[in-house]
Amino acid sequence: MNLKGLLSSITIADKILLSLLILLSFSGILFIKEVLPKGCEVQIEVNGRLVYVLPIEDNRIVSVKGPEGRTVIEIKDNRLRVTESPCHNKLCIKQGWIESGAIVCLPNRVLITIGNREYSNIVDAITG
Amino acid sequence: MKNKFKVTKEFISKTTFLSFPGLTGESRTAMDARLRTSGMTYREDTCALTNNRISKSPKLKVQTKTVFCLLLAAYCLFVFLCACAPQKEKVYRKSKILMDTLVTVTCVSNSKENAEKAIDAALAEIEKLDRLLNFFSPESEVSHINKNAGISVIKVSPDMLDVLDMSLMVSKNTEGAFDVTIGPVITLYDFYKKIKPEESVIKKNLSFVNYRDLIIDRNESTAFLKKKGMLIDLGGISKGYAADKAVEVLKRNGIHAGLVSVAGDIKAFGLKPDGRPWKIGIRNPRAKGQEDDILATIELRDMAISTSGDYERFFILNGRRYHHILNPKTGYSAERSQSVSIITHRAAFTDAFATGVFILGPEKGMRVLEKLGFDGVIVDSQGEVHITPNIRGKLEFKRTP
Repeated sequence: MNLKGLLSSITIADKILLSLLILLSFSGILFIKEVLPKGCEVQIEVNGRLVYVLPIEDNRIVSVKGPEGRTVIEIKDNRLRVTESPCHNKLCIKQGWIESGAIVCLPNRVLITIGNREYSNIVDAITG
Repeated sequence: MKNKFKVTKEFISKTTFLSFPGLTGESRTAMDARLRTSGMTYREDTCALTNNRISKSPKLKVQTKTVFCLLLAAYCLFVFLCACAPQKEKVYRKSKILMDTLVTVTCVSNSKENAEKAIDAALAEIEKLDRLLNFFSPESEVSHINKNAGISVIKVSPDMLDVLDMSLMVSKNTEGAFDVTIGPVITLYDFYKKIKPEESVIKKNLSFVNYRDLIIDRNESTAFLKKKGMLIDLGGISKGYAADKAVEVLKRNGIHAGLVSVAGDIKAFGLKPDGRPWKIGIRNPRAKGQEDDILATIELRDMAISTSGDYERFFILNGRRYHHILNPKTGYSAERSQSVSIITHRAAFTDAFATGVFILGPEKGMRVLEKLGFDGVIVDSQGEVHITPNIRGKLEFKRTP
């Protein structure tokens, strides 16, 4: 059977069905794009300036320079921590590994946030 | 029945092919034989066998058309509803270091663009207030008042006037436990370098601490410190005030739900996209790790919460804890509480009363809260938890109090 024969035999209903299938395919793409979870980004700011945007999925060690010196951040297994900091109280290091939310080092003006992920399964914010 | 239905459907799917012009004679017989070989039969009421080809019955044609029309109508309706329906609401969040602390602005919106615009405006408002209210910035408005203490009356901005007015109201309601003129004593301590001043120096500087010597004139928009050497430190109220103002900015930008957190001073408004209020965790003042970091949680809507604790900035010297919440009467760290959380509508009040009630301790503190109709959670020096009646049952404890 040739193509001409095939085309001449297509009815209006077939054409409508074909159009519907094409539209549904595009709708599916949009639906998947909207509904499926997106990857997480790690944002590192120093002194209010964004210096790194990194995927949390990739293991790496990043060093940034703040007013007090170098802060070293380790990203591993979908979480991160500060391993070295020039600040005196070392609160950023003591915070340990985080999988969501932020680590802030006020003395060295370093802010590390994990985006596109809920802060916590338990709470929206913490007071205290 | 099941088999018959299956066969009929299979057969119908082949009718288009079988009804091609040119499928005649031997081809049709062969096809017929193939259908029989594979165990198929067909129902006479659905399909009819003609001389040279098999064609659909008029009833089937009508059914097919109806199905297609229905499908098309359903799809058009689906597309129309999708286009008309509002976009799904999402939570957008941004953090920044402002006012020497971590500020996080969260908002609910169906537009990423609108959310980002509103959040940036809210953060800009906090930045503006920081420039006015920062005790450590020599360019701030508060430094201008301090430099002119005992010298001249200073014209101030409406924001400064509001903050000072509210500060005096809190001072009066806490018997001076909250006092923004604590500046001369605050500057004597260094909690990072573990520096505690001599008692004689504390006593000397305490003579400059008295909120009654802060004079404000709302009509003239002026502020004046009576004695030279007096210093206003708004650290106990400015973060809460900033949270209030940031929420106002979010609302002006069309945001109907969100959360502004300036360190531990939080103001929540509206509901989350899932229709629930915002869930706030109250930090455990004696947490040993991440596991017991939260003492309790509470759900808030159109309310603010602040916590003052002795664990934020402190050092321990000779077995005594020296922390940043200083009693304006003694010049030493207040000892009656470990942490105090206050809940009411304005974050400026929750911020300031958290400090005042912390200094007053649980007995006097609870009386103040009762009088003003505020809610609170006080963890006293022994770790016992005191709660105002209105929020009993609303607090969900994560550890045994």
